[in-house]
Amino acid sequence: MSVSRGAARARGAVVTGLGVIAPNGVGTDAFWKATREGISFLDRLTRPGSENFPVRVAGQIRGFDPATMIEERLLVQTDRFTHIALAAADLALEDSRLPVDDLSPFAVGVVTAAGSGGGEFGQRELQQLYGKGPRHVGPFQSIAWFYAASTGQVSIRGGFKGPCGVVADDEAGGLDALAHARRSIRHGADAIVAGATEAGLAPYSMVCQLGWRELSRAREAGRAYLPFTTDACGFVPGEGGAMFVVEEEGAARRRGVPIRGFISGYGATFTGASRWEESREGLARAIRVALDDAQCAPEEIDVVFADALGVPEADRAEALAIADALGPHGTRVPVTAPKTGFGRAHCAAPTLDVAAAVLAMEHRMVPPTPYVTDVCHELDLVTRSPRPAEPRCALVLSRGLMGYNAALVLRGPEGDM
Amino acid sequence: MSRQFAHQELAALMKKCAGLTVDPAALAGSPEMTFTEFGLDSLGLLAIVGELENHYGTPIEPGAESCKTPNDFIDVINASITAGA
Repeated sequence: MSVSRGAARARGAVVTGLGVIAPNGVGTDAFWKATREGISFLDRLTRPGSENFPVRVAGQIRGFDPATMIEERLLVQTDRFTHIALAAADLALEDSRLPVDDLSPFAVGVVTAAGSGGGEFGQRELQQLYGKGPRHVGPFQSIAWFYAASTGQVSIRGGFKGPCGVVADDEAGGLDALAHARRSIRHGADAIVAGATEAGLAPYSMVCQLGWRELSRAREAGRAYLPFTTDACGFVPGEGGAMFVVEEEGAARRRGVPIRGFISGYGATFTGASRWEESREGLARAIRVALDDAQCAPEEIDVVFADALGVPEADRAEALAIADALGPHGTRVPVTAPKTGFGRAHCAAPTLDVAAAVLAMEHRMVPPTPYVTDVCHELDLVTRSPRPAEPRCALVLSRGLMGYNAALVLRGPEGDM
Repeated sequence: MSRQFAHQELAALMKKCAGLTVDPAALAGSPEMTFTEFGLDSLGLLAIVGELENHYGTPIEPGAESCKTPNDFIDVINASITAGA
């Protein structure tokens, strides 16, 4: 589908606020500083109860005290993934200076994606269940574990009664949530608080993941997550995520706030769980659909934020998909994967890439891919140090272990030309 | 007769079960105020009922979880734990 021009032009969706809580930084400034410099934050997994699993290395948030950002009532009643979502949503709303009190509550909605849900809260209550019996399971279990918890709590806390949704569809869900927000804007919403956060490093959630062959079993942080290299041995799990204020372009212009980026194009396909060779075709198709949607030529893409799974056949499929969809430009365009420095936080991983893409365009710098040095594919992967550039259009890619492929085209503040 | 369960105990459970900090004197001094006005929703009240049942080892009579005000709730709880004792 293409956006019609002129008088009938669709309502554009722009990013006016960012809220990031990631292992490499709490808050956008800290996140960008660490991301730009490619500082590594992978470490031995030390979440209590998860220390002796075969997965040894993770990206863990260490500098986030939810009690400093959200009220005690919500600390008790919700899971860590919702604590992170509430805090990140606050940061995004503050950043956007959205005049919430002047807007109709029905004009502002919320959409999030979640793959892991409230596993830490759920584990605590399940332990009560088998340790003491059903009478000892608290009623907040009914709402805290649920994938929809973060959308619900962000909506209730902010009084946002507009279109709300949850995408529970695998890692690519982070991009799907932003596409969902864009669709709601197009259909009349003024603003959507959108994004994804995850907190899947506690024992119950980790045990659910241990069967994934794509998860890195490496014991050293420096060798654990090396996509696009001959040493690729899987991915390292992470936590955290980003929330955004996505706003109708005209409304953002009228209130005179800086437009951080345009959500210009999106495409999604499905090629089956762990069928990485087939993901080549699916991802290439998603990229083409996203480019067409954005009315963007392949040569206009200035930077690619790769999915970077770190599994040899998946990396090969991604490199080939980029070449298939972008043609010769695919081997020249800078590609990066900052997530190798802080882990892959499931649905939230692509939201951190979108945040990094917005910041890369603002700061005219492509951040590097930490730990990675020798690339074994036909890609211009940015490694070792940040690369000065003037990216005005970014392509963000994401694939899920269950077979979803998604691509998002993000244009910088110069706009949707 | 002193009552086993009063505003002090209720305030402590509102804190423990639902994360709400409420002054017991405010609970006692504003008999018209509802749980909703104190920030406690139905799930929070249900959590308090469950905690009391476990603590006293006796079922609380049905309807406690739909009490609207602290005083109504305190009366129902005292009746239940006295009957169960």
